[in-house]
Amino acid sequence: MMPQLHDSRNRGRGDAASSAHKDGFERIFGIETEYGLSVTGTARATDAGQVAMMMFQPIVQRARSTNTYLENGSRLYLDIGSHPEYATAEARTPGAALLADAAGEHTMRDLALDTQRRLRDTVDLHATIHLFKNNADSAGHSFGCHENYLVRRGVQLKAIETQLLPFLITRQILTGAGRYTDGHWTVTQRAAFVDETVSSATTRSRPMINTRDEPHADPESFRRLHVIIGDSNRSQWATVMKLAMTHLVLCTMEWGARSGSPTGLEHLALADPVDANLAVDADGADAWLVLADGTMMTALAMQRRMLDAVATFADGFHDEIAASFDGDPFMTLDDVLDEWRTGLDALAAHEWTALADRVDWACKRHVMAGIEARGAVDPMRMRQLDLDYHDIANGVLYGSLVRHHRMRALCTNEQIEDAVTTPPPDTRAVLRGAFVRHALGAPVTWACDWTQLKITTPVKDEIMLLDPFDADGGAPFARIIREVDASRAADSAV
Amino acid sequence: MPQEQRSPSTQHDDTAAAETRHKTTTRADAGIDDLDAILDDIETVLETNAEEYVSGFVQKGGE
Repeated sequence: MMPQLHDSRNRGRGDAASSAHKDGFERIFGIETEYGLSVTGTARATDAGQVAMMMFQPIVQRARSTNTYLENGSRLYLDIGSHPEYATAEARTPGAALLADAAGEHTMRDLALDTQRRLRDTVDLHATIHLFKNNADSAGHSFGCHENYLVRRGVQLKAIETQLLPFLITRQILTGAGRYTDGHWTVTQRAAFVDETVSSATTRSRPMINTRDEPHADPESFRRLHVIIGDSNRSQWATVMKLAMTHLVLCTMEWGARSGSPTGLEHLALADPVDANLAVDADGADAWLVLADGTMMTALAMQRRMLDAVATFADGFHDEIAASFDGDPFMTLDDVLDEWRTGLDALAAHEWTALADRVDWACKRHVMAGIEARGAVDPMRMRQLDLDYHDIANGVLYGSLVRHHRMRALCTNEQIEDAVTTPPPDTRAVLRGAFVRHALGAPVTWACDWTQLKITTPVKDEIMLLDPFDADGGAPFARIIREVDASRAADSAV
Repeated sequence: MPQEQRSPSTQHDDTAAAETRHKTTTRADAGIDDLDAILDDIETVLETNAEEYVSGFVQKGGE
């Protein structure tokens, strides 16, 4: 149940703090990842739905639900259709969001391998669970990796459609995860499944951007942009770059909306975004796109125009934009611009293999070309290896590529393990995480969601956290934590 | 956060960037030796039934 955002009791504090960020370039990032599940090695077919329920048994025991928030502030749940899903807590930087997403992978892998041990004990010694961080099964069903960005209200929906959408479609030449289908490699996982551009529904149709307006923040200052068109990435570089590049485009658009100045992102609207998306999927950087004004441009040229616009803008506001990357464990503003430009330069020179250590589609295509050069590979084997790359539970290809320096890894194991229990810094996730940590094992009945913390026994209390930038929480937060701790003390006294 | 976690491209002059690019290209192209090692690593995958593996992954719902 979503808390009422307009509840007058709770407006004061959140609004005051939010408005301080209204004119800046700070952003809140989040990634929601749905995982696909299958089981091999059993004598009889095993139902993936039942195995998904088994995976969530430890969660149900703890939370009496398949939907829970964790002490790192993230949300772990079982989605319709037995998709285990992980929604990262609010992060202030792309790198912090990457760590939260990697922590999700780590948690999912633990749950899967624990379930596999139980399956091997009870059902079949050879049962093997595959948990796919990809976006398509073998029968043509698709599931998502959604990005969330807190965006300032000044940006009009029209601009999202005519400026942001062409960016999101063409960024895939660097951030696409690629897929082996019908005997060839595509650039993306998702393009074949997305059939609409901007919509307020996700389950009936598959839009590229969802506009359902649940900002989980002061609704007068912010909207939450829900990007559906992206792929699930194994590449940590791609994960951090897709967030960082999108952030910079959004900063440019916000400034344009605020100042009324042209940004260089205008006049790039696509005649048919669905067609353009399919063209990029098939032809990557060289895809020819038809613009709304009838002119033609390659996906690469479009990305160049956008990078130029962003770089020009970032040049004028360097310190302010650079500050939005403060605390990012992996990237500065200049890193992002350099990496973006280097990527486009390599594609312009048709040296895509130079990107094989960071771009998922290039990585898979490059290693498979090497294997095929040794001898023909059956198309079914190719599909299996493609899936194995995305299997975070028992896959071997991705790990092997990282070990042999065919794929860059940004996060250390220590950083990921830390992110399993520690919320991203400087956001309200810190408060949610602390609340969960205090409440777990305490004799209280508690609940929380993105904007609310609540206890119902032994005392009733609830607080709203409407400002995602607020990691302090003030007196109300101190009070609810005190109440939780008091219940523990009272319980041990009895 | 620790400085050594940053990616190598923090250097800004063109020579350094070109060198980074060159190194990356060389590493990706000189992949023959690692390919043997990668093929060793994925041997267990290559031994399983690809058809069973692929067709076993069918899922509905989501989003």
